[in-house]
Amino acid sequence: MGKKKKRVSSKVWCYYCDREFDDEKILVQHQKAKHFKCHVCHKKLSTAGGMAIHVLQVHKESVTKVPNAKPGRESTDIEIYGMQGIPPDILAAHYGEEEDDVPSKAAKVDIPPTQLVGGMIPPPLGTGYPPRPTLPTMPPMYNPAVPVPPNAWMVPPRPQPWFSQPPAVSVPPAAPYTQQPLFPVQNVRPPLPATAPALQTQITPPGLPTSAPVPVSQPLFPVVGNNHTTTQSSTFSAPPLPSSVPSVTSVMSANVPVDTHLSSNSSVTSSYQAIGIPGGAASNSHSYASGPNTGGPSIGPPPVIANKAPATQPATNEVYLVWDDEAMSMEERRMSLPKYQVHDESSQVSHTTSLIDGVAFTSNQMSIGFMLPVFRFSCLHIVSYLKRYILYKFLILF
Amino acid sequence: MASAVPATGRELSNPPSDGITNLRFSNHSDHLLVSSWDKSVRLYDASANVLRGEFMHAGPVLDCCFHDDSSGFSVAADNTVRRLVFSSNKEDILGRHDAPVRCVEYSYAAGQLITGSWDKTLKCWDPRGASGQERTLVGTYPQPERVYSLSLVGHRLVVATAGRHVNIYDLRNMSQPEQRRESSLKYQTRCVRCYPNGTGYALSSVEGRVAMEFFDLSEASQAKKYAFKCHRKSEAGRDIVYPVNAIAFHPIYGTFATGGCDGYVNVWDGNNKKRLYQYSKYPTSVAALSFSRDGRLLAVASSYTFEEGPKSQEQDAIFVRSVNEIEVKPKPKVYPNPPA
Repeated sequence: MGKKKKRVSSKVWCYYCDREFDDEKILVQHQKAKHFKCHVCHKKLSTAGGMAIHVLQVHKESVTKVPNAKPGRESTDIEIYGMQGIPPDILAAHYGEEEDDVPSKAAKVDIPPTQLVGGMIPPPLGTGYPPRPTLPTMPPMYNPAVPVPPNAWMVPPRPQPWFSQPPAVSVPPAAPYTQQPLFPVQNVRPPLPATAPALQTQITPPGLPTSAPVPVSQPLFPVVGNNHTTTQSSTFSAPPLPSSVPSVTSVMSANVPVDTHLSSNSSVTSSYQAIGIPGGAASNSHSYASGPNTGGPSIGPPPVIANKAPATQPATNEVYLVWDDEAMSMEERRMSLPKYQVHDESSQVSHTTSLIDGVAFTSNQMSIGFMLPVFRFSCLHIVSYLKRYILYKFLILF
Repeated sequence: MASAVPATGRELSNPPSDGITNLRFSNHSDHLLVSSWDKSVRLYDASANVLRGEFMHAGPVLDCCFHDDSSGFSVAADNTVRRLVFSSNKEDILGRHDAPVRCVEYSYAAGQLITGSWDKTLKCWDPRGASGQERTLVGTYPQPERVYSLSLVGHRLVVATAGRHVNIYDLRNMSQPEQRRESSLKYQTRCVRCYPNGTGYALSSVEGRVAMEFFDLSEASQAKKYAFKCHRKSEAGRDIVYPVNAIAFHPIYGTFATGGCDGYVNVWDGNNKKRLYQYSKYPTSVAALSFSRDGRLLAVASSYTFEEGPKSQEQDAIFVRSVNEIEVKPKPKVYPNPPA
């Protein structure tokens, strides 16, 4: 018990790979480097959704799975930032059991949050009422199980309009998970009551705000009752009313930081989209190509400068042109070989004259060519690649 | 027929004995016309893999093109512009330039033959007339530099020369260029090809880049132009950049293939700025590319192009490969799901 208590208070872990870290800042860095990094340009994004949008907008590729994630946790729709945004059931499973979750088990656990939500309704009504309705509704429980999926579908759209007012862009996908990040925050605050029933009690508090917007509470109730009885009979027998009140207060207080985070996310997303458009004009390159990416996407001037400097310097030193003679084409050079000289003796005198002129012309070109390559070679060393790079990018944009 | 087709495509029998300068498919059949440094122009039946004709010249042949299925044209380093009659294996000289002639195009819209030469001129010929310089030459138009590449679409002619000049002409008014431009790439121009839809042209350089340009000078159209890198590789800490020798547009989908001195052929979707496919490496530099009239075949000339000076050469070869639709068809765009 004591050991578990310490883990909860001092350790944070990655939702995608279950790796533990001492500090949430380090956890965020890990997520950016391992799970939110663009596989094309290796840029680190702040969230999975942002990374998916970046890859789609800039590189025109679709990403449906978060890289390096465990099976069942690859969805890019869940907005995770450090320990925030982890679904409550996953969080509970992680602390309850040290073993890894089985995918099928995780799928089953996804249903309980809705049921738990419904389960919270009986306690405020009274102690006597909950047990009585549960018993007579036992038989019809199997029938309501069928409409459970549509109810789950209805839950996400309901909260969206209510929460959509403050942030506009990322609200729809974030709304269904707004409730979930509330739980880990609450969990961290009351670490003192380390008893198992206390933790389980805290799981139910986030259900209250979701129950209010959900109009169809009756079908949820019987299903929840069934699972509630099966999984936690002790909680059912002792529903603590006074604990629900302080949990609501903590929920409301937690709303503020979450909204701030969401707004910052939306600004990042919009900046991605803005940059993505000019990035679309970027040069495409061979699979083996390397060197500066003229259209590399970036956010804000500082990253651009940081990215450009190291990329251009090695390119300047190491670019090798297979054909670097600007004065002559490959065919002209080849034509100057004796093997390819034209010897048309059968032509008339006038033609012979023109041929001689042609040869002379070729010789002139050749002599000029001998001098210019040296000059060009010197120029290539003197002229800064960075200048050409900037000029080139300028040409592309206009 | 029964034998398995290698990854590079079927190799044609009786290839030229020296470097290949260009190859073209006919507009009416699967015939392939090939010009070579061995002073010959050869006519192949690409489907049957049969050599149908061979025309010897006094000097290396730098370009060739079809007139119709019974005749074609060639230009050579002996300064001549020739007409080749395939059925009788005869040829006659339409006229001459003052220096080797680098490229030739036949305009079906204008019924004229256009040739570009290293004597810094562009000439138009009327091939219907009898032999003789005075009777067939329609006009001579000076260029700022030696002509390196030509391309035609409709009535538009694009001329790329040394010094990175690009002149755009309307064939109905050749007295002066419609536009005088400079290449947006910083290195020597290698090849220019117009878009099949007539809205612009693609221009490649010796520095492993291709620029996508548009004819319309309005700000909205010019904003669409861009350039991209290709035919490069990293090796032992060096970026080796290869010339892009050839560009060939697919006649149906408007995508295009590029071939470079690195021996690779890439297929690109210019509209979506994507690389669609990369074929396996060819034995040596890819000197020329050509799609058949229906886009089902792609001819690849694998021939050393002297980019690294004289050296003991590998065998020059012509490969004809079947083109799968997936390789050349643009992929539909994936739009993000609209917010709920």
